[in-house]
Amino acid sequence: MHKMQGLHQCLPGDGDKMIELRIDDKKVEVKAGATVLEAALQAGVYIPNLCYHPDLPPIGSCRLCIVEIDGVRGAPASCTTPAKEGMVVRTDTPKLRNLRKDILWLILSAYSGDPEKASQLRKVADWIGRKDLLPGSVPKPANILPALYDPFFVRDLDKCILCGRCVRMCRDVRKTGAIGLVNRGIKTVVGTGCNAPLKDSGCKFCLACVEVCPSGALYDKEKLEEPERAKKLLPCVNTCPAGIDIPRYVRLIASGKYQDALEVIREKVPFPLALGYACNHACEEACRRGSLNSPISIRALKRFVAERDSGRWRSKLAIEPPTGKKVAVVGAGPGGLTTAWYLRQAGHAVTVFEALSEPGGMMRSAIPAYRLPRKVLAGEISEITAIGVKIVTNSEVKSIDALFEQGFDAVFVAVGAPSGMKMGAEGENDPRIMDGIYFLQAVSFGKKSDITGEVLVVGGGNVAMDVARTALRVGAKKVTVLYRRTREEMPALPEEVEEAVKEGVKFRFLTAPEKIFSLGKKLGVACILMKLGEPDAGGRRRPVPIEGSKIVIKADRIITAIGQRPAVPDGFALPLDKKCCIQADPETMACSRKGVFAGGDAVSGPASIIEAVQAGRKAAVSIDKYLGGSGVIDRLFIPAEEPPGCLGRDESFCSCERAEPPSISAAKRRNNFNLVELSLKEKDAIAAAKRCLRCELRLKISKAPMPPDKKE
Amino acid sequence: MEKIKILICMGTSGLSAGAEALAKNFEKELKRHKLAGKYRIVRTGDRGLFRDILVDIAAPGGDRVTYEYVKPEDAARITEQHLLRGEPVKELLAGEDYKQFFAGQMRVVLANCGEIDPENIEDYIACGGYKALALALAMAPEKVAQEVKSSGLRGRGGAGFLTGLKWEFCRAAEGDVKYVICNGDEGDPGAFMDRSILEGDPQAVIEGMIIAGYAIGACEGYVYCRAEYPLAIKRLEKAIAQAGEKGFLGKSVFKSGFSFDIKIKQGAGAFVCGEETALIASIEGRRGMPVPRPPFPAQQGLWGKPTTINNVETFANVGHILTKGAKWFSAIGPEGSKGTKVFALAGKVKNTGLVEVPMGTTLRSLIFGPGGGMLHKNIGFKGVQIGGPSGGCLPESLLDTPIDYESITRTGAIMGSGGMVVMDKLTCMVDMARFFLEFTVSESCGKCVPCRVGLKRMLEALEEICGGKGRPAHLEFLREMATAIKDTALCGLGNTAPNSVLTTLRYFPEEYKEHIEDKACRASVCVPLVKFEVVESKCIKCGRCLSVCPAGAVVWQKKEYAGIDKAKCIKCKACINVCPVMAIK
Repeated sequence: MHKMQGLHQCLPGDGDKMIELRIDDKKVEVKAGATVLEAALQAGVYIPNLCYHPDLPPIGSCRLCIVEIDGVRGAPASCTTPAKEGMVVRTDTPKLRNLRKDILWLILSAYSGDPEKASQLRKVADWIGRKDLLPGSVPKPANILPALYDPFFVRDLDKCILCGRCVRMCRDVRKTGAIGLVNRGIKTVVGTGCNAPLKDSGCKFCLACVEVCPSGALYDKEKLEEPERAKKLLPCVNTCPAGIDIPRYVRLIASGKYQDALEVIREKVPFPLALGYACNHACEEACRRGSLNSPISIRALKRFVAERDSGRWRSKLAIEPPTGKKVAVVGAGPGGLTTAWYLRQAGHAVTVFEALSEPGGMMRSAIPAYRLPRKVLAGEISEITAIGVKIVTNSEVKSIDALFEQGFDAVFVAVGAPSGMKMGAEGENDPRIMDGIYFLQAVSFGKKSDITGEVLVVGGGNVAMDVARTALRVGAKKVTVLYRRTREEMPALPEEVEEAVKEGVKFRFLTAPEKIFSLGKKLGVACILMKLGEPDAGGRRRPVPIEGSKIVIKADRIITAIGQRPAVPDGFALPLDKKCCIQADPETMACSRKGVFAGGDAVSGPASIIEAVQAGRKAAVSIDKYLGGSGVIDRLFIPAEEPPGCLGRDESFCSCERAEPPSISAAKRRNNFNLVELSLKEKDAIAAAKRCLRCELRLKISKAPMPPDKKE
Repeated sequence: MEKIKILICMGTSGLSAGAEALAKNFEKELKRHKLAGKYRIVRTGDRGLFRDILVDIAAPGGDRVTYEYVKPEDAARITEQHLLRGEPVKELLAGEDYKQFFAGQMRVVLANCGEIDPENIEDYIACGGYKALALALAMAPEKVAQEVKSSGLRGRGGAGFLTGLKWEFCRAAEGDVKYVICNGDEGDPGAFMDRSILEGDPQAVIEGMIIAGYAIGACEGYVYCRAEYPLAIKRLEKAIAQAGEKGFLGKSVFKSGFSFDIKIKQGAGAFVCGEETALIASIEGRRGMPVPRPPFPAQQGLWGKPTTINNVETFANVGHILTKGAKWFSAIGPEGSKGTKVFALAGKVKNTGLVEVPMGTTLRSLIFGPGGGMLHKNIGFKGVQIGGPSGGCLPESLLDTPIDYESITRTGAIMGSGGMVVMDKLTCMVDMARFFLEFTVSESCGKCVPCRVGLKRMLEALEEICGGKGRPAHLEFLREMATAIKDTALCGLGNTAPNSVLTTLRYFPEEYKEHIEDKACRASVCVPLVKFEVVESKCIKCGRCLSVCPAGAVVWQKKEYAGIDKAKCIKCKACINVCPVMAIK
């Protein structure tokens, strides 16, 4: 991308004129403006080099790429010498070999230890071959500063060979100018102004410097090796189950291109807005900016652009001509609707069967309206029906055979995991004890609530938080969450817990109900207190009962939210696992029955919207293939653009904190289901997007030319 | 009636000796004796020879009397005796040394230094200043460049490129905007010709730059001057302002339609910024580091535009070439090296200072002519370092080498910008090489490996040799590394930095050998190799060593050989430095 940044720009352009020269008796033709080194590399003649990098302007500092040119005095560096018509170049004479050994000796005489095997320096050294120029002398590295442990990477100046690639990357390509050469002569080091920490020097932690370091002076704290490397370097995209190109849409938001940004999201998911409201955003936990101060507000940014949807993307939607195939989708949750969305675009006729009176699955029934307004969801689902997906509500499917009999060619089972788990406590069948999902669904569908007085919520996940906050809204005087472990171990998102606390929900940690009984008009809950023991398989510390530590808590109602399971009708005749989940191929989502596919919570157990969407995407691919299609479901709305490699300078970049969307005050939330979280303001959204470390840029940096494996 | 001039040298050296106080005293005296109508005090630049304050009483006809070592309080004496009574003050009259110093010189560039008031443009005009510019503007720009080319003037900064040819390249280069830069980043230790010219005759440099601007088609010029030269900068600023008022600078010079402006850019004291590409980087506000050429500044220089960079002395020559003609100039000096060259003569010679001689003068006639020969008669000549720290050190056998670009280069030294340090037998050549290398090591910009690391490793080897830890392997190493650096360093400074080592290895190999094999330093400079013993065969029993020893280690009685008590000796070398016959080893 940054190619031809170097000398070519400074030379008068000759358009596409080609010139011919001789390198080691080989005729070489190159574009006018190329350097001798570029010409040689292009012709497969390797000239050792260290300070050269294809993305950088050449500076000729390492002097290893020296050559001899007829009619030119001395040994010029080929990286800075423009190739000329008729030039006769020799790259490997005894004199040059000897000079290179001398220079290599010099480089290593200021280097601490032996360069690592994988480093370019080591490979070049091995290629040139070493010579003991002054027997008995010991290397004297700069030894000026100890290794500096910056966020993400280590700077070990004793291994710096001052090739200046990092400095040029920072100054000439990124235009950040955070680092430069400090001091002069033998005391020269790469550093910051006044030796300030990187984060105070305008560094944007794009890590381009680390990427181009040939000597091991700059290295990632976390070892990055193929094939995991790209994944670790771009954690947001790789953590997002649907693989949304987050850096791209964040970058587009930063430059004010909201419709482009939205289209990038829409390339992967049909629910940008619903996800913008209610995604569990694993990407933010993975975001590398979090190690600097706080992650990018990815979810809020998604909501920000989805709210500004002008509908431009609709005109770019391409529905394939009818294939004549029919697909039945069982369950109108995020997984089922996603499959339907993509299969319909592939030209299939899709019917979605939904047992409840409205589509949306858990998005409709379990996520409270104060988090995800019903209109928002209905709006996004209407886009799906608008392209011809048929949704049949109040229609519980009991048998797959029946669907095939109706003429469907394939079935996608996405019935979710709506069945609440039992506590296993004595007396839990009391009618005053209710299942959390059932409770949320009842409230969501407008059933009158009879909740009053003190409510005890058992569990520590997101459902428990939704239950507790909903209970407060429908009449509970006091809500207490009972959890076996501590706040630290709660699986609920921290911001959900925080909001619950703000709204007045109380917490009793390290407490587990054992027995429930009537206590006058109220319920008595006998609990045992716990302490934290050893970590379990998931890394969370296991609760251990404290013997003889019984207490009794009084409550009017108890709502449990300790996990759910799928409830797959027997009539489906699908093999289930121990946890009642449907067994399906994790990649193709195919079940053992021909033509039957399954995904979402029904296969994975309770998970997130975005995971269900991804399951739906995978299923759409395989079902389309199964029906004779190509299986290509991604729709490119906007052509890929090269991200600009220039970041520019911004002194406040590192100190800029994450933008949290504003929310209405806790006092105004009681007794209503009004939306709690408000939108990001445009100014804040742009600032939030500009905080991105642009991890994707590092992956675009070219590889430096390495010596061939064997010297010929 | 034309006044008699009292010329007072008021360059940096004159001022440091109190020249301003002297001038004020003269003013008072003239007023007191009502002589102000007859005499004019002229505050001039320095003449290149330091004799405290030099004062000339110069009559319009050419008669003049020179006083040396004048102190501020001497104003009254000179006024009363000389000005009033016409009796020169004998004890202050300049002596034979002074005459000898100037006798062998040919002053072209330095002609006005010490003669005119550099802060008064009228003085410059009165001695023919700005005639050259008028002549140039009447010619086609190509003709100007051609005239300078045919004069044979070569760059005085060191590399010696043909100035007129450089201008032609720059003129031919495509570009809407072009620049002229005057390189006044005089970095060689001991060299001060640029400073003296800028302090003593700044208009000559300005005129040269304007002519260059006209010749190449530039309308803007920069003088890059070291910030360590505050007086030069002050006078240059004044001179630029005055030239502007006179219409020599600014819009439409001489109403010719050609416009030219000059800005001053102060350098921060990096030796490497004298290298043209590093200098350009420095003006642009970047770190002063050389970049490989091509492209040459004439194609892509300042801000990427075609740029001509010439040295102060080069520009100062331009006016003379145009007024007196290229033929006159090319008649001076041998083939290939025309005109005069200013040298900053330093070291162990009687007269140190700025000497301007015609090209082709031999080293011997310079050192023993204007230089006045060796400072200490008993301690003979050993070598002369030409071309500053990146120059080379030549032995007595090469004293008859003529000073011209080719001959000097053949010896392994370089012409450089004109540094010349004379060394006597009290100088250790290994230590000398170490000293110059120390300078280049600390002034290396750090960009390329050979210069940054190579010079340092060579310095370390020399330090070991001087410290008595030399091994034969060091010699081999020095030779190989010096050649490698010469071949591979990025810029001219790196290429020439090993010269002092290479030339001393070539011309003084025996001293290296003694240091390494015999652990001895014949000049008694390298302390770890000095035994601090008196060689009785040489001792003249004078006892000077006793008087300077701060540790009471010298034992001496009248008519006896001196001796040194090693238990008391602190190896300060005071005795060695004072001994007139080098009897202490």
